[in-house]
Amino acid sequence: MRARFVEHSLSIVLVTLVFLVFVLMLREEQSAQRDERTKALAPYLALEFLNLGNPLHKALLKETLYIFHPDTRARNDSLLRAIEAFREEQFTSQAYKAGLHEQGLTIQTLERLGPMYLKFILIYLVVIVVSYRAAQSLAIFRFVKRKQNKGSYLIELYESMKNASLRKRGISFYGATGFIIAKSIAKGFAYAVLFAPAYVIAYSIRTRFDTDSYLFMVVLGVVSNGLLINYANKFFTFLTTESRKGYVDTAIVKGLSASYAWGTPDGVPRLAVIRPGSLFDKSSATVSDEDPAERRRPAHVFRHIYLNARHQYIPALKEHASFLITGLVIIEMALNIQGHLGYELMQRILYRQYDVAAAVILGIFLVVKATEIVVDMWFHRESRKYENRAKRV
Amino acid sequence: MNTFSRHKDTFWSVIWIAGLGALAVWDIAFLNRPALELLQTAFLNTMVGSLLVVVLSLVFGWVTGVALYFLDERHRLLYLSFTFLLNVIRSIPQIVGILIGYVALTILIREEIIRSDLMQLLWVASTIGLFVFLEIADLVRERIAHYRKLDFVDAMLCCGISEGRIVNREILWKNSRAHLLQKMVTTFGAAIFLQCSIDFIVSVGLSTDVSLSNFPVTLGSLLAKLDSKQDILAIGTAFSNFHQMLSLPFQHLQGISIAFIIIFTLLCMYQISNGIVKRHKL
Repeated sequence: MRARFVEHSLSIVLVTLVFLVFVLMLREEQSAQRDERTKALAPYLALEFLNLGNPLHKALLKETLYIFHPDTRARNDSLLRAIEAFREEQFTSQAYKAGLHEQGLTIQTLERLGPMYLKFILIYLVVIVVSYRAAQSLAIFRFVKRKQNKGSYLIELYESMKNASLRKRGISFYGATGFIIAKSIAKGFAYAVLFAPAYVIAYSIRTRFDTDSYLFMVVLGVVSNGLLINYANKFFTFLTTESRKGYVDTAIVKGLSASYAWGTPDGVPRLAVIRPGSLFDKSSATVSDEDPAERRRPAHVFRHIYLNARHQYIPALKEHASFLITGLVIIEMALNIQGHLGYELMQRILYRQYDVAAAVILGIFLVVKATEIVVDMWFHRESRKYENRAKRV
Repeated sequence: MNTFSRHKDTFWSVIWIAGLGALAVWDIAFLNRPALELLQTAFLNTMVGSLLVVVLSLVFGWVTGVALYFLDERHRLLYLSFTFLLNVIRSIPQIVGILIGYVALTILIREEIIRSDLMQLLWVASTIGLFVFLEIADLVRERIAHYRKLDFVDAMLCCGISEGRIVNREILWKNSRAHLLQKMVTTFGAAIFLQCSIDFIVSVGLSTDVSLSNFPVTLGSLLAKLDSKQDILAIGTAFSNFHQMLSLPFQHLQGISIAFIIIFTLLCMYQISNGIVKRHKL
């Protein structure tokens, strides 16, 4: 664990150093460019008695230049044009209009970015917790369905049509068929949402909902961009791999229940999909004294499958976090949600304020690193339990 | 039906091609000619770009995985430094890294260092590849580590077969092709998602910046065009207006087609990848 911690710290130091060097280089280059540009203009712009917004003063300046430098008329004209362009830029530049004219990473810029960064972290934390639980729930649901030998709805439809002869097809058959088709359509729709990039979903419902709200961002962050479905699939793979291991057979031989029927005393309660850990705990069976079925519930092998799969899934949370941030940045940038970190990053890149953009990127990197450290600590703690180096599970 | 269930990867590959074929026929019949040509170019560019990402990721991943294996055995310090750098890349969210690549590309185009469309696609593919190849590198390392524990590696070494040949040919080529294929399919899906997203973002958010340099049109950048976005917005109004729902596949075909291609491809890649896992019991 110490080695991991040292590695994380070193990478934070390295990236911060790269950032500082980049900012210093950029400042030097910008300063050189600014000096180069204003070197010729500065003496004229600094004249307090000269109002360059006044046409009379401009004409006087022009004549004065011609009098003092009669041999360099072209240079005089260039200077006047440069002064005019400089002044015009202050009124017409998009950066000035957007309030992004101040160059460099200033205290004001950091003060402006601070609340956005905190908002970003808050949304990120909510989404990572919700998506972690939701991915597990989805994977458990799929795993139990697989154990129940339930295939896809299309196969179910095909089987039901094959088994029912034409004469036997009554109202109940058509009702059941209709229900399977409805479930199939709902599943297809759910898949479409789960795989759709966030901007497709957001634009398709923009006329119906306020797509700039925090709740919407959280929901979109969880369900879209393939995040939920891919990490549910990963957890499902861990569950399937664990279920094939030898200890599962041993546990079944020793009397643990292996029935995956919904809601039966020896089966899997539906609530297990939402609260997988607690429901199979022995203590919870004794707590529910009111329900005799619950009290009689034997220990289920799935508890062990789940706990082992969850243990393996913990390191995958680092990857999950990185992909989740990708999704959140895409949402904020693609939907142009003002006042959010992703939008600000986009604006800074647009106006070529790369030092501020780099600061935002460093902030995002630190969020990922913090998550990685927490996940490593968690995994280390859990591993100690599994290796019987601390309290037993 | 059972055959299809067993060969889910083949089944979904057929579904993908058939789905895109059906969409192509529909678009030829109902989409106006300029939009159709634009859509075809965007589709081809996206597919070529994503395939390039897959190829580059495979090369990067394979080379990195094998290099790390040999460095671990022979140059511990180099191994630690290389792993450290790879972990730094891993901690950078993909979209942020790719965005940095796009900024660099814009500068290179402005400086007229990169000019052709193919070079731009190659640059973008390399940038995306740099942030997705680690999964393949991890897989390569995992497979080598798994087989290294088995006796046949030592037996081959005793027979005088070089370690490079054992790793590259016996372990990776002969015994890990299915794993690599499955990872390539998921990488293809990830590449399409990332490419479309970054192109959408760049076209929406950095439009004034990139107008200086014309990026090759892709599904993401085409979706960001005003008419495509209006087509997608029309889906929202169709929920309450049935007539609008009927008009979607005729009057709002450009945006709907792009969204369909992206979502349908991602779904099919997911199913094909799961099918490979199921068929080869990975």
